[in-house]
Amino acid sequence: MLSRRAFAAGLPTLAALGIGPALAQGSDTLTVALGAESTTLDPTVAAAGVDYYMINDLFEQMLRPDPGGQRINWLAESWTVGGAPDKPIIDITLREGVLFHDNTPLTSADFEFAYQLMGDPKHARNVHQQADVEAFEIVDPRRFRLHFKQPDALYLALNFTLWAVPKKYYEQVGREGFNKAPIGTGPWKFVSRSVHEELRLEAFEGYWNKAHRPRVKNLVIKVIPEDLTRVAAFKTGAVDWIDAVPPSMLSDFAKLPGVSTRTVASGNNLFLNLAADLPNSPLKDVRVRRAVALAVDMDAIIKKVLFGQGERYSELVSGEPGYDPTLTPYPYDPKQARELLRDAGYPNGFDVICYNLTTPREPSMKEMGEAEFAYLSQVGIRCRTQQLEYGAWITTGLRNPTGPRMDGIISWMSGHGVPPDPGSAWAGQIHTYMPNAGWGGYSFSADPELDALVEQQRRILDPEQRAAVLNKIAHLKHERVLGGITTYRPLVTFAWRTDKVDWTPWPAGYWRTFQEVALKA
Amino acid sequence: MTRFILRRLGEGAISILGASLIVFVISRLSGDPVVLMLPPDAPASSVQALRQTLGLDQPFVIQYGMFLTRALHGDFGQSYRWQMPALRLILERLPATVQLAVAGLCFSLCVAVPVGVFSAVNHGGWIDRMGRIFAMLGQAMPAFWVGLLLILTFAIQLEWLPAFGYGGINHLVLPAIALGWYPVAAMTRIVRSAMLDVLNTDHIRLARALGIPERLIIWKYAFRNAAVPLLTMLGVYFAAMLGGSFVVEVIFAWPGVGRTVVEAVFSRDFPVVQAGVLSASVMFVLANLLVDLSYGFVDPRIRDER
Repeated sequence: MLSRRAFAAGLPTLAALGIGPALAQGSDTLTVALGAESTTLDPTVAAAGVDYYMINDLFEQMLRPDPGGQRINWLAESWTVGGAPDKPIIDITLREGVLFHDNTPLTSADFEFAYQLMGDPKHARNVHQQADVEAFEIVDPRRFRLHFKQPDALYLALNFTLWAVPKKYYEQVGREGFNKAPIGTGPWKFVSRSVHEELRLEAFEGYWNKAHRPRVKNLVIKVIPEDLTRVAAFKTGAVDWIDAVPPSMLSDFAKLPGVSTRTVASGNNLFLNLAADLPNSPLKDVRVRRAVALAVDMDAIIKKVLFGQGERYSELVSGEPGYDPTLTPYPYDPKQARELLRDAGYPNGFDVICYNLTTPREPSMKEMGEAEFAYLSQVGIRCRTQQLEYGAWITTGLRNPTGPRMDGIISWMSGHGVPPDPGSAWAGQIHTYMPNAGWGGYSFSADPELDALVEQQRRILDPEQRAAVLNKIAHLKHERVLGGITTYRPLVTFAWRTDKVDWTPWPAGYWRTFQEVALKA
Repeated sequence: MTRFILRRLGEGAISILGASLIVFVISRLSGDPVVLMLPPDAPASSVQALRQTLGLDQPFVIQYGMFLTRALHGDFGQSYRWQMPALRLILERLPATVQLAVAGLCFSLCVAVPVGVFSAVNHGGWIDRMGRIFAMLGQAMPAFWVGLLLILTFAIQLEWLPAFGYGGINHLVLPAIALGWYPVAAMTRIVRSAMLDVLNTDHIRLARALGIPERLIIWKYAFRNAAVPLLTMLGVYFAAMLGGSFVVEVIFAWPGVGRTVVEAVFSRDFPVVQAGVLSASVMFVLANLLVDLSYGFVDPRIRDER
């Protein structure tokens, strides 16, 4: 039998083997943990939202949202919009003194190279973002002009889309080499990466922005997908900052001494998408769609299922162009929902297939969908729920020119982003499906007036004029209950050790960019 | 012996070829990967262009032929999701998975062999009962639950071991227990019943009559005979641990192949699924070959037959 003495004698051996609690590394290193990681570190090929979690630490664009969510000039020192109204030209002057991590200066040629890469379908995936730019004209090493075939409001909403990548180095190492050892102009320099494990970065001493920069030498980003393990890593001191605190543990975190939390909108927007364009579907009737909207007590579901980690919204969110605080969410009114169903000719309700996502792309998304569908059944909209994993769910919810189509109600999402802009999401969810033009990729609506307005907002560069059109779309969409019934936007909570970490949240990279961070002495 | 090894390797190659066909067909039945790779607002022309770039517009037979030809040259294509060579992604993760599987298997053996042997020697006694309870616990609790309990106890409460990550031996202990506890019950039962059979044979009774020390009888004469069925199981369990460690890898943020392949299945990342499954097939064949060879080591009669 193992005696207590023998056990005690074994402890030094365990210590020699390195067994003991893992603590966050020394005073010049900040160790953090993310629940998910970028699939690439090359911004010219990135496509998924999660890719930008890490990319924004290494790379920069011409514009960047500040901590208040205002889009400010970043690598662009200044820019103007000129040319003809239907063929605008954006004239951009780059900031002086911006260096890549290999200390070569940023020039217009680097952005021209990024433009070529990001418009090449053999290289990039978001090539449609460059579809409206017909020419890139270099004026001098710090100035260039983007010539547009037609105005593109999303170009501005996406911070002019292009990322600063060093042309010479990229050509030298190639695409694969660049992904293995990326070089950008961002506040952090690449050191090493092990997929599924960690990304190691070092603060870039030659970084141009002296006011907003990291004040710690090294940053280690661990990847811990399991929520409880990530929390355990934080509680044991192995990491000093984590993202996505599980909603069920928020009250626990509030009691932890010396721990700060910050809760923000994740950038995603959820809604119930309805097959409103099928001639024989009850959902074609606006009264039925309104009944769906009134049947669900979203406030109660958010409180009980998400522990409050969700925020209701009505078409647009606060701070978004065109936002109107008077446009409030549909109230919970099951009585009126039943009356509307009766008026529409469904006094006994009807059966409908309700598609739900089981993959946790957002916290408790499966349970949220189930709760929403349960409320619908209470008023007579009897959901026959089909649970789908992500691949099947996205195939069901996206339109496709030849295959079967969604014929009921689907719990769906389309992010307005951080800072929010509805342009891209609404092009997909409101506009009538037109596959060759890229409109209506997940739309089950067909409303010519809304189509015209969605196309119009895309072609307006003036922020105020565009906001007015977006506001009009929001009201019409809400009134006609088209393009999806908005339900909630998920909130995400970050936690860090107050006595060790001084972190200023920046919205870039869905709030996961370490633009300004320091270790306290 | 050489002929035996060559024959087994030939059979293994046929198995791997069969696995390649099955994984190729099944992965393509899961749907179109392009819809997961492009944003929803991508026009149909972009979707078609990407399909062509990836060769997904080709007839199935041609796709399979191209895949086999390239695979023979070690090229499994670029991961759709990670945008790097699929084989590189798998091979970089393989050492972590092998390390975890070996450690898990070692844990299983370290528990199952002594418990099985002592349970047989003292069958009905308290060691037998306690051993079986411990072994059954591992089989009764799912690996994710065991993993979380271990983290809660040894990382958070006792602060002895790290809660996650890949590194030194200290990082390996908890995931190895979470992975290795499950097969302990089956292994213990195999060892126990095989030992009970052997301990009742004439040659063991003769050894006792000759006054050979009991320890020598148990470990040298009885256990060596009882080890053959255990060896058969080891090959199967090692392969299962290589391919089935996904849950443990996620719980402990362990950067292994299982997690990579399962994520690839969900994102329809065909090249990674193919590279991962075929790598696992190769490991499976090799593990079973080693098991076959080890029979001869523990039982000279099997060696002589070859």
